[in-house]
Amino acid sequence: MITGVFLLLWTAVTIGCMQSGEGTDRAQTVVVFKHGKLSGDGRVLSDLLRDFERDHQGVIIREELLPADSDRQHQYYAMNLDGGKAPFDLLGIDTIWAQEFAKAGWIAPLDGFMTPAEQEEFLPGPIEAATFSGRLYAVPWYVDAGVLYYRRDLLDRHGLEPPRTWLELAHIAKAVLEAEQNSALTGFVWQGKQYEGLMCVTLEVLRSNGTDLWSGDRDRAVYGLRFLRETIATHRITPLSTSMADEESTRWMFGEGRALFMRNWPYAWSLLQREGSPVRGKVGVVPLPAFPGFASAPVLGGWMLAMPNSSTHQEVVGELIRFLTSSDAQRKVAVELGYNPVRRALYADESLLELRPFLKDLYPILLAARPRPVTPYYLLISQAVQPEISAVVVGRKSPDEALDAIRRRADQIMGEQISTAELDRS
Amino acid sequence: MNDRSLTKMKKSGGPVHLSERTWGYLFAGPAFALVSLIALAPIAAALWLSLRQQLPIFGIDEFVGIRNYLQLWGDDRFWAACRTTLYFTALSVSAELLLGFGFALLLNRLSDGAGRGLRWAHVMIILPWAIPTVVSAQIWAWLYQPDYGLLNYLLHAAGVTGGRIDWLADPDWAIHAAVVMDVWKTTPFAALLLLAGLKTVPRELYAAARVDGAGAWEQFRRITLPLLMPVVVIVLVFRTMDAVRVFDAVFVLTGGGPGNSTETLSIYAYKTLFQTLQFGYGSALATAMFVLAALLSMLYLALLRRHVQESA
Repeated sequence: MITGVFLLLWTAVTIGCMQSGEGTDRAQTVVVFKHGKLSGDGRVLSDLLRDFERDHQGVIIREELLPADSDRQHQYYAMNLDGGKAPFDLLGIDTIWAQEFAKAGWIAPLDGFMTPAEQEEFLPGPIEAATFSGRLYAVPWYVDAGVLYYRRDLLDRHGLEPPRTWLELAHIAKAVLEAEQNSALTGFVWQGKQYEGLMCVTLEVLRSNGTDLWSGDRDRAVYGLRFLRETIATHRITPLSTSMADEESTRWMFGEGRALFMRNWPYAWSLLQREGSPVRGKVGVVPLPAFPGFASAPVLGGWMLAMPNSSTHQEVVGELIRFLTSSDAQRKVAVELGYNPVRRALYADESLLELRPFLKDLYPILLAARPRPVTPYYLLISQAVQPEISAVVVGRKSPDEALDAIRRRADQIMGEQISTAELDRS
Repeated sequence: MNDRSLTKMKKSGGPVHLSERTWGYLFAGPAFALVSLIALAPIAAALWLSLRQQLPIFGIDEFVGIRNYLQLWGDDRFWAACRTTLYFTALSVSAELLLGFGFALLLNRLSDGAGRGLRWAHVMIILPWAIPTVVSAQIWAWLYQPDYGLLNYLLHAAGVTGGRIDWLADPDWAIHAAVVMDVWKTTPFAALLLLAGLKTVPRELYAAARVDGAGAWEQFRRITLPLLMPVVVIVLVFRTMDAVRVFDAVFVLTGGGPGNSTETLSIYAYKTLFQTLQFGYGSALATAMFVLAALLSMLYLALLRRHVQESA
C-alpha cells in the first residue's frame, strides 16, 4: 500500500519535472538575492525583480530575507562568506561593511560592470565608501545621512530660526523650554545608546568641529565630546534616557511632540508627516549644526549591493545590480518606499520632486555626507570605542580620559592587524 | 539462585574471559562516549580555538599559544566585565535564595493546612519562570521606561521620589535593574527546589522538637536548615552557574551599556565573537567564564562536603 503511494508520488514528481523542463530551451539560472527586510511593502522590490526576469529569459531571482537588525545580518554574512561558498549570489550590505568584506576577499570587484564615468553619476560619499584599494567593490543602492529635525511651530511661536551652530541649538532649546513651561517637552534628542548610532552622532559632532575621533586635533575632539555630555548635564536640554535611545525611540519621542530638536536619518520624515501623526505639518529639516568656523558634517548611511566572490552567475548578477541601481528602478523605490536614490540626476528630476519634495532639501545634505572612517578595521574599532563614548555621555568618564583611551585602542587595533597581516603575507 | 548461576557461568567460562572491572568499563563505554561527544568535544574545541588567533575578515588563522590569555590579563574591559558578572551573581543569587526560601516555607505551610489555594499559589509562583527570558526582559524594559513606565508611575503616585529615575540609562541603576528582573524571574526556581527539600524533612522530628520545648526559630535552625543544606547547595550551584553566564536578561534590557556598566562576561564574549568576529580571543573569554563558573561550583561543593563531615 505504502509502496504504491510512493510509486505514485515518484511518477507524479518525475512527470512534473519533465513538464517544467520542456518549456525552456536554456537551463535555468537561479540567482539568490539575500538582503535585510526593507521597511514598507516588500512587493515593490519583488515587482522590480519580476521585471528583470521578464527581460532575461531563463533567469529566476530568489529573494531571501534577513532580519532588519544589521548586527544579525553582519553575523550571517560573515559566517557564510567565510567558507568561500556563499549560498547566495547578491547581497545587500551596510555602507560600513564594504571595506571589511573587500579586504577579506569575500566580495568581487564590480568596476567591470560600472565604469568610472558611470560612477560619477552617483553621489560621491557612497562611492568613496565602496572603493577599496582603487577598485569598486559594491554599488550604492540607497543612501542616508544624519539630519536635524525641528518643530517649526514651536520655533515660529517664539520667533526663532533653526540653529546653525551647536551652541545656538543649546540656547534656542533652553529659551523655548523656559518659555513653554511644559514638563513633558525636552530640547534635543539623539541616539545615545551604546551602539553604532552613537558612533554616527559623535562623528557628526566632532567632524563639525574640524576634527575626527581617532585622528585630528585633540582639543577640538575633547570639546566635541564634552558638548555631548553637556547637552545632558549642564544645558539640560537632553534627557538622561537618551543614553539608552536608538533611532526608533527618539523618533517616537519626537513624533509624540515631546522634543524640540532631533538628530535622525531621513526615514523619519515620512513617518512624522503621515496622517494621524501629532506633529504632522509642524516639522522642518535642516542640516545638522556645526561649531563656529566649520561646516555641517552629516555622516553617511545606507545600503549597497555586492556580489560574493563565489557566485557562479557573475554576468547575470552584474546586470541585476545595474538594473536595481538604474534611474528607473531607483525612482520607483524612491516613490513607493521613500528610500533616497543614489543617482544625482534624480534629485533634479521634476516628476520625482513633485512626488517627494523632501528630496530637494535632502540633496545638499546627502552631497556633503561623509562616510564613517573608510577602513576595513572600522567595525573592530567602533566596537572598542562605543563603551568609551557611552561612558562620557553618562558622565562616567571625562572626555579627556575617554579620548585618550579611544585613540590608544584605535592605534593598537590598526597597528596590530596591519603587522599580523604583513607577517602573514611574508 | 541468581548468584549461583552467575558463579557457574564464570567458572564455566564464556567465549570471552574478562574481569568484572573490565566488563564494567565496557558497559559504561557507550554512555561515556556519548557524554564526550556532546559535552567534552565542544569544550575541547573551544579550548583549542582559544589558543589560536582567528580573524576570518583578515584571513588570519594561526596558533598563538597562550597569547590570547596574556592579552586577557591586560584587558581592562575583561576585568570590568568580571567585576560586573560577580556583582550581578552575588546580588541576584543571594536575593533569589533568601526570597526562594521564604516562598518555600510559605508554600509548605499552605500545603500543611487545608491547602485550597495551594495549586493557585504554585501556578502564580512558577509563572515568571515559565516566561521566556527575552520576553520578560522586554516587559521589564517597559516597566523601567522613565516616562511611561509603571515603576516610575507607582513611585510618583506613592510620592517617593520627586524626580523620575532613569532606571536603565543611569549607570548606577542599570545593573540593579537587571538584578531585580533576574530575581523576579528565577526566584520560583529556587522556591520549588527548596519546597521539594522541605517535603522530605520527616514531620516526627518537629514533633519531637516541640516535645523538647524548641520554639519555631530553634526548629528552623536545628532541623530545617541542616537537613536542607544539600538542596541549598544545589540551588546555589544551579543559580550561580546561570548568573555567571547571564546573557539574554541583561542584553535585552541594556545591551551592556550605558558606558559598559552592565557588560557581563558573556556579553563581552558575544560582542567579541559575533560582532567583531575575533574567534580566538572570544573563545579565550568564554574559557575564562567557564573557569570562573567551575571555580565557584567547586567552592560550593567543598562547603557541602565540610558540612556533611561536620554533621556526621
